Amino acid sequence: MSDPRQPRWEHDTETQLTSRQRLDRTARHLLPSVFTALVIIFFSAPVSIPGSAELLPAIVINTIFFWSVWRPSGMPSLAVFLLGLFMDLVGFTPLGVSAFILLLVHGIGSYARFGLMRMNFLVVWCLFGLVGAAAAALQWALACLFRLHLLDPAPAFFEALLCIGVYPLLSATFSWFLHILDEKDTP
Amino acid sequence: MVPVSIQVRQALSKLVLPVLLLMSVGIIIAGQADRPLADRARMRVADVLAPLWSLLSRTQTDSERLVHGLKEARNLSEENHRLSTENANLRRWYEVAVSLARENDTLKTELHWVPEPTPAFVTGRVVADSGGIYARAVLLVAGTTSGVQTGNIALASSGLAGRVTEVGAHAARILLINDIASRLPVELESSHAAAIMVGDNSPLPRLLYYSQDTRPIEGERVVTSDQAGAFPSGIPIGNVHYLHPGQPVVQPFARLDRLTMLRVFDFGQSEIEPPEAPGHVPLTRPHRALTLPFKTLLGPGQEG
Repeated sequence: MSDPRQPRWEHDTETQLTSRQRLDRTARHLLPSVFTALVIIFFSAPVSIPGSAELLPAIVINTIFFWSVWRPSGMPSLAVFLLGLFMDLVGFTPLGVSAFILLLVHGIGSYARFGLMRMNFLVVWCLFGLVGAAAAALQWALACLFRLHLLDPAPAFFEALLCIGVYPLLSATFSWFLHILDEKDTP
Repeated sequence: MVPVSIQVRQALSKLVLPVLLLMSVGIIIAGQADRPLADRARMRVADVLAPLWSLLSRTQTDSERLVHGLKEARNLSEENHRLSTENANLRRWYEVAVSLARENDTLKTELHWVPEPTPAFVTGRVVADSGGIYARAVLLVAGTTSGVQTGNIALASSGLAGRVTEVGAHAARILLINDIASRLPVELESSHAAAIMVGDNSPLPRLLYYSQDTRPIEGERVVTSDQAGAFPSGIPIGNVHYLHPGQPVVQPFARLDRLTMLRVFDFGQSEIEPPEAPGHVPLTRPHRALTLPFKTLLGPGQEG
């Protein structure tokens, strides 16, 4: 922390928070990232969930897109980068590919967030569908590029469909969660 | 925190995403250039996460077992009923078996039956044999020190595997029944007709010299016969199978291409008799009756 006697450039009320409140805030900011990390660990475990290889990127892309649009403070770029790297290390994708794709999704989400926030849910869903399909296609294309031969596009297609299909469910859960957080914030 | 102006902070925060994107591209390239490094990093992460993963998978296994147990509990009364019916049935068969065994004993006593000697056996591990004079033979780690002799019979878990042809102090070579040098007198179990099983280095030895009025039937069991005195009768070998019409072969019960352990039985015969030349009348050996104590053709009271 800076010296309190020095003039501070941020004109927010951070200094008035107690340590407990600060802890609470940090936990709140870290929560989406921690959730995503846990999802990655869970789905990379050798448990027999059908389609877990395609479900994991779908859920991660959903989570990152949602938080990038609605609460970017909960999903900073650095966290996205680290999560993508973690996903690559745990999975079998070439190192850095997931990080790249997730950062792109995050970039699109945070760039378009002011437009998206005003839109109808269905429109947002459609736009997200485009983003998810593009992400799956990009992943497939990069995998083809690194293996140097054309891979079966069916898994990528399945992943895109899962990505689109899972969005309403996760979006509802996260919205409910955000609602609770906001209620707690303003007693 | 270093005091910087709002403009600089905003510019910096806008720069973070492109810088990270560039970094990820750099990592992609580095990971492609130095794959061992990427693999090592992966392994380190996996090492750290291994306990968590094992916890997760154990939880899943446990819950699956619980669900399975609950499902089984639902069928418990039905299963119980089935088992008690089966148990009553088996109990009846047990009574039948006991009375039959008793009857068999009585009949044997009546006939002055000479009991067959219990054969001694040793078990050895098979080590593959690539050399030697036979194409289908294995080497067994059991030799004269364990009591193995030439002419002993090697059984796999499910049927006849071969005969001991050469013995060393700690190893024995076993000629398998599908070797081209192997010719065994066999018996077709349902018709009791004799035949010769001839190996041809293929997995399925052929059946030859069966009488034309009792042809082998598809699926019939083939057992050893004591015609030449080299084998005791009744050791299971395999099933008859017709590859082509008029060409019966034996599908051995023993998996001859993947033998791991063999039991070598000493049935009391010490020599393999060579196949006799046609037209040559063999001389009966005086000691022969003594070496075949268990399957005597003499009438009761005449043996010994």
